[in-house]
Amino acid sequence: MPHPGVPRDWFRNRDGLGLWEGRGKVVATGVGTSPTARRWDEKPETSMGAMTIIAIRKAIADAGISPDEIDGLVLTPDSTTGVSNDPNTPPPPGWEQHFKMASFPQAGITRGDIDWLVQNMPELKNVKFMMNGAICMSVSFVAAAEAVARGLTKTCLVVRGWHNLAGRYYVGVGASALDTASGRGKYASIWGLPACGTTAMVFEEYCRKYGKNHDQMANFVVTQRRNGLMNPDGYYSQHRPEMITVEDYLTARWIAKPANIYDNDLPIMAALAVVFTTPERARDHKQKPVYILSHGQTRPEFPGIAPTLEQWEQSTDRMGRILYEGAGVGPDDLAFENMYDGFTLFHQFHLEGLRFAARGEKRGYALDLYETDIGIEGPNPVSPSGGNNGNGRTRWWNHRDSILQLQGRSPSQIKKKAEIGVSGAPMPDACDALIWSATPPV
Amino acid sequence: MAFLISFDIDGTMEFGDPAGGVTVEMVRRAKESGFIVGSCSDRFPSWQKKVWDSHGIAVDFWVPKHMLSNVKARFQADRYVHIGDRDIDRQLAEQVGFHFWWDHEAVAEPWLAWLIDQR
Repeated sequence: MPHPGVPRDWFRNRDGLGLWEGRGKVVATGVGTSPTARRWDEKPETSMGAMTIIAIRKAIADAGISPDEIDGLVLTPDSTTGVSNDPNTPPPPGWEQHFKMASFPQAGITRGDIDWLVQNMPELKNVKFMMNGAICMSVSFVAAAEAVARGLTKTCLVVRGWHNLAGRYYVGVGASALDTASGRGKYASIWGLPACGTTAMVFEEYCRKYGKNHDQMANFVVTQRRNGLMNPDGYYSQHRPEMITVEDYLTARWIAKPANIYDNDLPIMAALAVVFTTPERARDHKQKPVYILSHGQTRPEFPGIAPTLEQWEQSTDRMGRILYEGAGVGPDDLAFENMYDGFTLFHQFHLEGLRFAARGEKRGYALDLYETDIGIEGPNPVSPSGGNNGNGRTRWWNHRDSILQLQGRSPSQIKKKAEIGVSGAPMPDACDALIWSATPPV
Repeated sequence: MAFLISFDIDGTMEFGDPAGGVTVEMVRRAKESGFIVGSCSDRFPSWQKKVWDSHGIAVDFWVPKHMLSNVKARFQADRYVHIGDRDIDRQLAEQVGFHFWWDHEAVAEPWLAWLIDQR
């Protein structure tokens, strides 16, 4: 059964909207993370759907509530940006002995589905509000925040699972496997540019404009892995607990110069669930509530087929303004930023748009900042979650960690007082972000 | 005659992720037979060295995957071969004039025949 997407007017995507009406009226409490894996082994019990169920149960337990208190569910149904199956592909043998089927066979395998979840989690007896936050979990977080703020749901799960099938990510699959390209793709996708190619080109523009170079990324990438390895729920902690060195990074293979292999994240299987509720209900939850002060959205507005440096800077500047206006705070209020790092080379656009640790500068300072102490012990913790680079490819380690930081229980807890933080994903010009606070707004 | 064998790790070596069919013992046997051996992988070079050390094998090189040309320049050999499980392994090997074996071909330790050939 189709469930609604997020109404367009729920998104704060322009200047001049003032304080967010829901500011301080929505909190996050319970967080649940599934085990991780590199790829699916085609067993039902390790499927994306199974991992999602694990994450949901952990989030509910973490919140210290009963499952029948959950009356809302916002899900990002897209569970990969890589290899997938046609929705009608039959499930592997044994699947139906483990799970009830939803309206299409790939539910719980290569696509998240609210009905599949509710059917296979009988303890979710009272879910009435259901919505899809398509494309990115950032959208689902925004949707759930608005839904709680608007009184449409009292205690809402926000959920996303990631699958990773055998095969190459983006290479020779899906549209890439066809003999022809169509639509917008025919202008950009037929030249063999890998996924990080666009980011690499804009990063190159950035370096030329500001007199920077790729080597300056090294400390950021090393710190990302360091932070991620502190997280026992991360892929690398669980499966590849080796630390990258500066020399490893500087001698790495180019994928699309100046993006090397370690500027790209590693696809994995994992799922996250978070409980959102009202501050009043949160009094009965086990975990400290983290307040949502506001949210923001940007989407591409460029006329061509690929973005430019100017466009990414304008978009991220706009995101900063929208977030701060809605939250009633400013850059100096941020204790940390947990913006997305799917390709490491665009993280600095997000960071600069927020003017994080800017010291009066506007643009072109981030790579210099990276060369200072950006670790969790320092004055300017950059991406304390470790992001995708430190934990494996999802789009939610950053959001998860922001909640945990402000609850004081992150595995990579920053040493300075964590009062207000920000997280968002994915791209500099296609982003949904939230500002979080450890205390209610004044 | 000198022979050099370069091993990819993930999908090729038994300790890779995913595990491959080439065992540590095969590499040890090659090293003890006088082959120049090492790894050429997308895994961090710093980690490659540690993992070989942990298995008690003093490999001669441990490099990023694209550095096969450097390996060829550093070590004079009569034959060079790279072993891997992906097209990129074959591509990089052939670009620099290495012979290439797929991981599943390597489990038969075909390089040992080179020793017989030279007798």
